[in-house]
Amino acid sequence: MKFKKVEQQDIAFLKSIIEKDRIFTEEEISEDFSRDELAGMRNMPEVLVEPISTEETSKIMEYAYEQNIPVTPRGQGTGLVGSAVALYGGIMLNMSRMNNILELDEENLTVTVEPGVLLMELSKFVESNDLFYPPDPGEKSATLAGNINTNAGGMRAVKYGVTRDYVRGLELVLPNGEIMEVGGKIVKNSSGYSLKDLIVGSEGTLGIVTKATLRLLPLPKKTISLLVPFHKLETAIETVPKIIKSKNVPTAIEYMVKDTILSAEEYLGKEFPDKTSDAYLLLSFDGNSKEEVEKSYEVVADICLEAGAIDVLISETQERQESIWSARGAFLEAIKSSTTEMDECDVVVPRNRIAEFVKYSNELKDEFDIRIKSFGHAGDGNLHIYVLRDDLAEDVWKDKLDKVFQKMYDRARELKGQVSGEHGIGFAKKNYLEESLSVDAMTIMRGIKKSFDPKGVLNPGKVS
Amino acid sequence: MKTLVCIKQVPGTTEVEVDDNGNLIRSGVDAKMNPYDLYALETALKLQEDQKGEVSVITMGPPQSKEVIREAYMMGVNQGFLLTDRRFAGADVLATSYTLAQGAYQAGDFDLILCGKQTTDGDTAQVGPEMAEYLGIPHVANVKTIVECKENSLIVEVEMPTSIQTVEVNFPCLITVEKGIFQPRLPSYRLKKKTKYQEITELSLDHFKDINEKRYGLSGSPTQVERIFPPEQNTTSERWEGENLGDKLYQTLVDLKFLYENK
Amino acid sequence: MAKIIVNQEKIKDIDEAIKLCPFDAIEWNEKEREVGITAACKVCMICVNKGPEGAFELEEDDIYIDKSQWKGVAVYVDHDEGQVHPVTHELIGKARELADKIGHPVYAVFIGSDIQKQAEDLRYYGVDEVFVYDNPAFQDFTIEPYTAAFSDFIDKVSPSTVLVGATPLGRSLAPRVAARFKTGLTADCTILDMKEDTDLVQIRPAFGGNIMAQICTPKHRPQFATVRYKIMDAAQRLDKAVGKVTNCEPPKNLASAIRVLDSKAKEIEEDIADAEVIVVAGRAIKKEEDLEMIHMLAKELGGKVAVTRPLIEAGWGDPKTQIGLSGRTVRPKLMITCGVSGSVQFKAGMTNSDYVFAINKDPNAEIFQVAHYGIIGDVYDVIPELLAKMKKSEEVMA
Repeated sequence: MKFKKVEQQDIAFLKSIIEKDRIFTEEEISEDFSRDELAGMRNMPEVLVEPISTEETSKIMEYAYEQNIPVTPRGQGTGLVGSAVALYGGIMLNMSRMNNILELDEENLTVTVEPGVLLMELSKFVESNDLFYPPDPGEKSATLAGNINTNAGGMRAVKYGVTRDYVRGLELVLPNGEIMEVGGKIVKNSSGYSLKDLIVGSEGTLGIVTKATLRLLPLPKKTISLLVPFHKLETAIETVPKIIKSKNVPTAIEYMVKDTILSAEEYLGKEFPDKTSDAYLLLSFDGNSKEEVEKSYEVVADICLEAGAIDVLISETQERQESIWSARGAFLEAIKSSTTEMDECDVVVPRNRIAEFVKYSNELKDEFDIRIKSFGHAGDGNLHIYVLRDDLAEDVWKDKLDKVFQKMYDRARELKGQVSGEHGIGFAKKNYLEESLSVDAMTIMRGIKKSFDPKGVLNPGKVS
Repeated sequence: MKTLVCIKQVPGTTEVEVDDNGNLIRSGVDAKMNPYDLYALETALKLQEDQKGEVSVITMGPPQSKEVIREAYMMGVNQGFLLTDRRFAGADVLATSYTLAQGAYQAGDFDLILCGKQTTDGDTAQVGPEMAEYLGIPHVANVKTIVECKENSLIVEVEMPTSIQTVEVNFPCLITVEKGIFQPRLPSYRLKKKTKYQEITELSLDHFKDINEKRYGLSGSPTQVERIFPPEQNTTSERWEGENLGDKLYQTLVDLKFLYENK
Repeated sequence: MAKIIVNQEKIKDIDEAIKLCPFDAIEWNEKEREVGITAACKVCMICVNKGPEGAFELEEDDIYIDKSQWKGVAVYVDHDEGQVHPVTHELIGKARELADKIGHPVYAVFIGSDIQKQAEDLRYYGVDEVFVYDNPAFQDFTIEPYTAAFSDFIDKVSPSTVLVGATPLGRSLAPRVAARFKTGLTADCTILDMKEDTDLVQIRPAFGGNIMAQICTPKHRPQFATVRYKIMDAAQRLDKAVGKVTNCEPPKNLASAIRVLDSKAKEIEEDIADAEVIVVAGRAIKKEEDLEMIHMLAKELGGKVAVTRPLIEAGWGDPKTQIGLSGRTVRPKLMITCGVSGSVQFKAGMTNSDYVFAINKDPNAEIFQVAHYGIIGDVYDVIPELLAKMKKSEEVMA
């Protein structure tokens, strides 16, 4: 791909439409903007701009499109696959300043936000109004537009679904600078192809989200968690389909092993309430009364005991929830701090195949003599498997990583799974996507990209 | 070894507010066991595992305080006592300690009484020592480690202003434990099922040795709350620029008592 | 006995009456067919004050105490093996102020072993009389002998008010003595004042600091209060000693069921999560050696050092000292951030800090949004200047 480099006159143009203290070049750009959370690849944008309105975004995009300058939109940079890295330099749009919650519509149960609102800010805001935004990705400091662009899932997907299920309408700036609205506050919509659903999960390649209308639910009054210890990971994971079959749906079903818990303890300097067992399931339930929640968790607790759980431990109070969930929230950072470099595989497989996949990744650990750590959303089949470099030499690491990843993605395909459950494709997983989808599917995807962005200036080099 | 743990039911959150007339705004959030008591409970259960023995809990409060005793049962406690009587109402630290001491007499002979460091509602951290005084037994406060449990004594580490002391205390005694002495276990569903119908012993003033009403509740409370009000928030939001910022910072740290100015 | 009485006929709306109580202590008694008060009652008086006229009434007891028999504001001298804790000087300062309002003397009670010199020294802080219990039995702090000596002092001197530092020791001793005299004790007071009738006005936080309560002990003496370190202003050291030292005969029975086996210096907590003072080094620190000044500052303030992500990635800091939403959340009394930009993750991990000083060159740095004191300047100027100032006062002292 051939793009125009950013020159003085381009900067001058940007300065003509945007205050200059929101434009950064060269050394003024923090190193943070060259990479994302996993930092697997780095490249600096030539200019970093912080728009504060749809109109500004539109004008920049229109200009860049005309001039053939690549544009990479970005939120908090918490992605793991390089979607928000400016591979071709050009203009980076940091959307974080557009962080206002615009409207809470209690009659339609929607909230309208700007793209830079953080997930943690949104949940705090809606919960103070007795409302509930169910998508709950682990990274609470991510922006909503980031969540929308990866179609993030999170812990509560088992019961409530993923981000896509909660996006009602979007305002976009298209690659040519035009402003468009898709969807709306409407509950139903059978009016042609759902462009809104195409944008969700498009990783900033089809348009720039400048406003989002999200669906809310009434806030459940009571939540409790169960920590269920098992002698073996297999037994733990094999219990999951039985729980789902019972029709008492937990909001979350996570699995974790002792090893990961110990890393989190070390990282946080806080003790986990139980670590006598090798493997655990962590279940959450919500409802409107203690009695209601108790009734549904007791059924599930009995299933766990029958399936071989050692006990079922109950966490009800704030302190107890924190002692468990703060560890769960720190798993990624804890694993990261235990090694020099790592890469992640975020495959998703049908829920009844997850045990097989976990077992397989454990076998790979021995086969390739490399540390592999995993935890994940057992309830929705989405795994987070981390391959750790430790003190391997660069070439050995790359070689082992490629081989392990290849094996894992091959196996996921055999199990009728997909490349990414919630972290997206970005740049890092492009090859695996290509391998896993049919030629027709990839052709259609590229066609869609072309319809939105004939010149390919918006977030080039990503997804397809 | 017979151990008694004092527990209390407190509001589910400390985020209470005061309205313009100086009244508490009701939060409507569930009640829970005082988080600091969980550490005392865990200490008792750990000692029981090592020593064999019985762990009992005692609480003073309205009938719904039974919930915290049920929770203690789910953690492995053997016996629970609820001190409930409307004549206990309005008790301050002194009357609460006296009531608990009277209840402890009724509940049995204990080698060791354990209390949490403080509660999240009152925050006084005084009930343990006062109770020990009323029971006429020694107490050790701020215990951060249990070193050894012997047949007739306990060796513990305590936090003093500038040092850590190792002390040995003979039974019977009372200790108050620091947060973090042991990580509290979670209630068990197996035990929940097993103890669902287990009895909770209710005691009222009529069961006590001292039935003088004047020593309990509001009558037995020397302190009186005259008013409550919201705290002042630190709303400082200053910007400093220019020269001698280090000097200014020094002076401000001294003014805020983070540094002592040596004159 | 003092309690809330319900006048049933004055209650029109029973549900409204039940809702009055923030502690759920008002209930409908089905058996008696009347509104009752349960044991959950804290006698907060909300129902009396806010309820229907005359529906709830406080019935009080009559206790009479002759307050003129109790004289003096006494301070317990907190010490560790004879080394007087600075909270003592703060309490003496406050005691003087309180005592002057009612024309009472200021006393100090000093229990320990081989403490004559330290007792003499207290005369330089304006104490009218230092009562000393000097005996080898008081070498280590054990609760029974100390309580016995403290009680002996109260029996002999009858002070009106007793102030004790809310140190681990004070919080163990004060309640024990208060219970022995069956009198009131108010813990962790942040404000103290004196009424004309010698009642001590005690203001303290409750519910984790979310509310403040003003408490009095109107019918009992002495009135006990504990006060934390660094709340009150310390008494100034005088040029000349005043008052006198009185040695007291210790009580007879000084036996204890407690034996101190060992005593070692307290190590500074490793975990930043519990630290009261945290100095944070951020991106502006250019070289690893430069962290030295951050460590020096933390040491001077008795605090811990934390670092932000760029420094961890550079390998200069321990990931365990990274503050953030998915790392450690902290709530120190004092935080000084040095060249920290203030990422979302970082801010979310420290929003509950009491005093935040942020030093940063960039006036637009995000950290300034959450700082109480935003210092727009270079850490390489500000911190050396601050350290020099600290050093200077140390030299003056020496």
